[in-house]
Amino acid sequence: MFQVPWSEYSVDLWEGLLKTLSYTAVGFVGAALLGLAVALMRLSPARPLRIPAVLYTEVFKNVPLLAVIFLTYFGLGSIGLKLDAFQAGTLSLVIFYAAYLSEIFRSAINGVHGGQQEAAEALGMRRISTFGKVVFPQALRLALPGTNTMLVDLLKSTSLLVTISAAELMSQGRLITSATFRALEVYLVIAAVYFVLCYPLSQGLLWFERRIQAGTPLSVGRRRRLRAAKALLDRKMSAQEMSTQEMSAQEITTPEVRA
Amino acid sequence: MTEVTENRTATDVLTIAGLSKSFGGRLVLDDVSLSVHRSTITAIIGQSGGGKTTLLRCLNLLERPDRGLIAVDGEPIFDRRVVCRDLPELRRSVGMVFQRFNLFPHLTAVENVILAPLDAGVPEREAVERAVGLLRRVRLTHRATAYPEQMSGGEQQRVAIARALALRPSVLLFDEPTSSLDPESTGEVLRVMRELAGDGMTMVLVTHELSFARDVADRVVFVDGGRIVEEGEPGQVLGNPREPRTREFLTHFSQSHQSKE
Ligand SMILES: Nc1ncnc2c1ncn2[C@@H]1O[C@H](COP(=O)(O)OP(=O)(O)O)[C@@H](O)[C@H]1O
Ligand SMILES: [Mg+2]
Repeated sequence: MFQVPWSEYSVDLWEGLLKTLSYTAVGFVGAALLGLAVALMRLSPARPLRIPAVLYTEVFKNVPLLAVIFLTYFGLGSIGLKLDAFQAGTLSLVIFYAAYLSEIFRSAINGVHGGQQEAAEALGMRRISTFGKVVFPQALRLALPGTNTMLVDLLKSTSLLVTISAAELMSQGRLITSATFRALEVYLVIAAVYFVLCYPLSQGLLWFERRIQAGTPLSVGRRRRLRAAKALLDRKMSAQEMSTQEMSAQEITTPEVRA
Repeated sequence: MTEVTENRTATDVLTIAGLSKSFGGRLVLDDVSLSVHRSTITAIIGQSGGGKTTLLRCLNLLERPDRGLIAVDGEPIFDRRVVCRDLPELRRSVGMVFQRFNLFPHLTAVENVILAPLDAGVPEREAVERAVGLLRRVRLTHRATAYPEQMSGGEQQRVAIARALALRPSVLLFDEPTSSLDPESTGEVLRVMRELAGDGMTMVLVTHELSFARDVADRVVFVDGGRIVEEGEPGQVLGNPREPRTREFLTHFSQSHQSKE
């Protein structure tokens, strides 16, 4: 069954794989940024921002990705806006997945309790830091599962770019097939490569989700502050006598904050 | 002298005059006037729906009044319209503790306390030190790195108090801080508040803990139907009210709360 001289094609496969990963990375980052912008527009109190955002989301949720790819590559090309395959491919992925991600982000931001915004406001935090330090991190936790699903889905959808000969994995598979006429063998191998990419990715993302849900602080700043607080607590605890009367053993009391 | 009590000479921390607010045409605050002196405890009591929460929320402009004047530390912040230069800055001098704690669930206790000072430009080292000091003050150093969901209601509310103190406000507002707590947690929170009172913190508190108000408050204000019906010394308002409405409220209140006390 295995008669394709794979060693001759390993460079092509490797390049296809790198291309697939580039489409995925650029497409996903772009889609996440655009999706966040669209989500914020939809949540804005200003109608002139909300309406185009709603239109955008609804249109691209209800159009197949392949149609978007053809429109950006052949369609725009026919009116003189010639994009190369990489530009058209990433643009299509960004436009298409931003619509889905905006929905995920919007419901995540909505899912953060209103009291949170209020508590931050009452603490004198400005709007931008309220969003950045209170609403966004909580929304991120809510959005993570859906976003991760979309990332894996996007990776798999890059295979549709075979239709514009985008030089990614699937396109390489087609080239190898036309040179060897071993479609079953070639596409089995290509499918296996996708699996080997996607399975660890989705498992890794699940692991990441669990860590985030468990409250593991990921940012350098948080870790540093927590370390500083712990050091301070340890120091003061050992310096003090546990000389308190009515409190339970584990509680430490001092009548004054700082001498 | 502890870190939260600031030594200013003016005696009025809060002045409210002729404050009115309506929601959708319904008057919820009707010409409310009140002064809060430095280092005093003002307890606001009254039936639910009377406008107590709205009054507190107006004091740090979480809610915009329709009419009236509010001054904090002698500086007008609202005079028929918002007149303070900087809303965030105002809110840092008026701390707020909510009925439902509203801690930030994605941050540990100590980070909850650090967040606002850090955002206000306090250097990180100092913000951390301040937070640890405040957690000690509310007896929660052993819970410093716990997340809100891992804490009891009473612990969460004490973290919320530490969080509100972290900006060294001139006055702390409490909106029914113990009404979603069990009796044990209520005791812990009231104890912390009692200590704050002892340290000279200025506090305005909406509460149904009448015995706490009697013990700790300097003034009791009875609010009903958006108006201040009666105001005075706790012994007088709670023990010998002048107004029939107050008497009626206290009678109903003691009847419905007899089983609890
Ligand atoms: N945001 C709001 N929109 C409309 N009505 C409100 C709002 N907040 C409070 N109210 C109404 O104002 C009245 C006073 O409410 P509130 O200040 O919460 O009273 P209290 O705290 O004394 O129970 C109630 O009738 C309530 O329904
Ligand atoms: Mg209320």
